[in-house]
Amino acid sequence: MAFVGTRGLRGYITGDSPVPWLAPLVAMLMVFTIYPLFYNIWLSFHEYAPFKRQLVYVGTENWNNLFADPRFWEALSVTFTYFFVLLAIQIVLGMFIALLLDSDEPGFGLLRGLLTLTLVIPPAITGMMFLLLEDPEFGVLTYILEGMGILSGQNPILATSSTALAGVMLADIWQWTPFMVLIFLAGLRSLPQEPYEAAMLDGASAFQTFRRITLPMMSKVIAVAVLIRGIDLFRAFDYMFVMTSGGPGTSTYTLSLYAWQQTFSFIKWGYGATLSLVSLVLILVIANLFIWIAKVRW
Amino acid sequence: MIVESKNRRYARMAAAWFITALFVFPLYYWGTTAFKQAKEIFSVPPTVWSFTPTLRNFEEVFGISFGFLRQQEVLPGGGNFYMAPRLWDSIVVGLFSTALAIAISTFAAYALSRMDFRGRHHFVAWVLSTRMMPPVAVAIPMFFIYKDIGLMDSYTGIILIHALMNLPLAVLLLKSFFDDIPREIDESAIVDGASRWKIFRRIILPMAKGGIAATAVLCFIFSWTEFIFVLTLTQTGLKTVPVVSSSFVTSTGTAWGNMAALGVAAMAPAFLFILLVQKQLVRGLTLGSLKQ
Repeated sequence: MAFVGTRGLRGYITGDSPVPWLAPLVAMLMVFTIYPLFYNIWLSFHEYAPFKRQLVYVGTENWNNLFADPRFWEALSVTFTYFFVLLAIQIVLGMFIALLLDSDEPGFGLLRGLLTLTLVIPPAITGMMFLLLEDPEFGVLTYILEGMGILSGQNPILATSSTALAGVMLADIWQWTPFMVLIFLAGLRSLPQEPYEAAMLDGASAFQTFRRITLPMMSKVIAVAVLIRGIDLFRAFDYMFVMTSGGPGTSTYTLSLYAWQQTFSFIKWGYGATLSLVSLVLILVIANLFIWIAKVRW
Repeated sequence: MIVESKNRRYARMAAAWFITALFVFPLYYWGTTAFKQAKEIFSVPPTVWSFTPTLRNFEEVFGISFGFLRQQEVLPGGGNFYMAPRLWDSIVVGLFSTALAIAISTFAAYALSRMDFRGRHHFVAWVLSTRMMPPVAVAIPMFFIYKDIGLMDSYTGIILIHALMNLPLAVLLLKSFFDDIPREIDESAIVDGASRWKIFRRIILPMAKGGIAATAVLCFIFSWTEFIFVLTLTQTGLKTVPVVSSSFVTSTGTAWGNMAALGVAAMAPAFLFILLVQKQLVRGLTLGSLKQ
C-alpha cells in the first residue's frame, strides 16, 4: 500500500465528513473569487491619484459618477443589445439548423462534426478571422456585400457606427450558433417517437407538431442552453477587443470592455472596478432569476 | 421514424450541406490565407480558390526553414513574428492548469455526488455562480493582488487563474459522471468495510476514467482559448497564443499570412481534441446538466 505512514491524513479522509473532500475547492474559490470580490468593492471606494502615485479614498464618488456617466449608459445599452439580439438569433437559427440536421441520412454525422469545430477556436482568433473577412479593401464579406449592393465602399463595416456592432455580432453568431445546434440536436435526438406518430395520425401540420410537441418537450434543454449562452454573451469582451476596441465612438463598448479600458488604458482603477462590479451584480441577478423562473436544476 | 418524401429528403440534404459550408467557409479562407503570399492576400477581388501555396508564413512564425525562405531570412528567435515560444507557453499553462483543476475537482465532485450533507444544494449553486462571474471582475482585482504578491507575468499565476476558471465546469461535469455510477456499487463496498478513500481510489476513479479524460480535454481547450486573464496578468514574460494575435498588426499593415499561420497552429490541436470528446461534448458544454 502506498499510504502506509500517512495514517493521520488517511484516517481523516476515510471518515464520513465531506470537509476534507471539499476543502481544496473551497480554498481555491475563496482565494480567487471571494477575496477579489471584496478587494474590488474596496477598490471602488478608492481612486488612483496620479500626482500622489497612490490610491486615495474617494468615498462614493465612483458610484455617483457612474450614474452621471453617459458612456456607462451607452455601454449598458450595447451590452443588453448584444445580449438580447444574439440570444434571439442564436436560439432561432440554432433550432432551425438542429431541426435540419436531425436526420439519420448518410453524411449528417460528418456535418454535425464539422459544426463543432468553431467551438474550440480562441475567440480572439475568430475576431481576427472576421477582421480579415470584413476588411474594407480586400475582405471577402465586404466584396460580396458590395456586389449585392448592400454595402457601399465609403462605409467600412467595422468603422461605421451603425454597422460596427453587427460586424462584431457576426463573429459571435458564426462561432456560437453551433453551440445551440449541438445542444438542441442532442435534445431532439432523445425525444420519444410516440407523440409524433400520434400527431401524424391526427393530421397535425409540421408547425403544429413543433409548437405543441417539440417545444414543450425541449423546454429544459432550451433553458440550459439559454442560461449558459446568456452568461457568456453578457460577458462579451474578446471580439470587441480585437475587432474594434469599442469603437467607432461607443458603438461596440460592452460593459466588460469599458471596465477593462477604464482600468488599464485610462488608469482609473477605482472606476474600472466599480464598472466591473456592476456587470458582476447584473449577471448574477439575471442568471439566478432565470434559474429560479425556468427551474433549471443541476 | 417518420418517413419523408424523396424530394423533401433531397431538399433537406442540400440545405444541410449548404449551411454547413457557410460555417466552414471562414475556416477554409483562414486556413488557406496561412499558405498565401501577400499579393494573394491583399488582392481585389479576394483570392479564394487559385493561389500558389507557400510555407513561408509558417517559416517566419516557427523560425524553421522549409526552403521557401532563404536560410538567412529565417530568424529563429529574432523575427517580429517568431511565435514558437508562445505555443510553448500555451501548452505549459494548459497542461498544468488542467491537472490542477482536475485534481481539486475530482475530490469535490466525489463529495457532492456521494455524501449527503446539509446545504449541498446551495454549495452546488455557489459553484455554479462562480461560473457566472465576468472575467473582467476577477481580472481587475487579481491584477493588483498579483502585483502585490509577485505573481504577475508568471506561469504560476496564469496556471492558478486558469485552473480557477475551469473549476466550476470540472466540478459540475465530474459530479454528473460520478452520478452515473450506480450507488449500489460503493454502498456494498461500504458494507464490506471499505473506506471512503478506498472507494474513491478503487471504484469511482477507474469507473469514471472516460469522463475524467473528457473533462480534462475540455479544461485544456478552455485554457487554450482564454484571453482576458492572460491579457491582464502578463506583461512581457509569457503570453499564450490568443493574446499575441494583435502583435501582427503593425504600422505598415497587418501580417495576415503570419497571423493565419499561427491561428492554424492554434486550432489544429483543439480540433483534434474536440474530435476525441464528441460523445461527451454536449454534456461538457452544459456543465453536466444534459446527457447525450
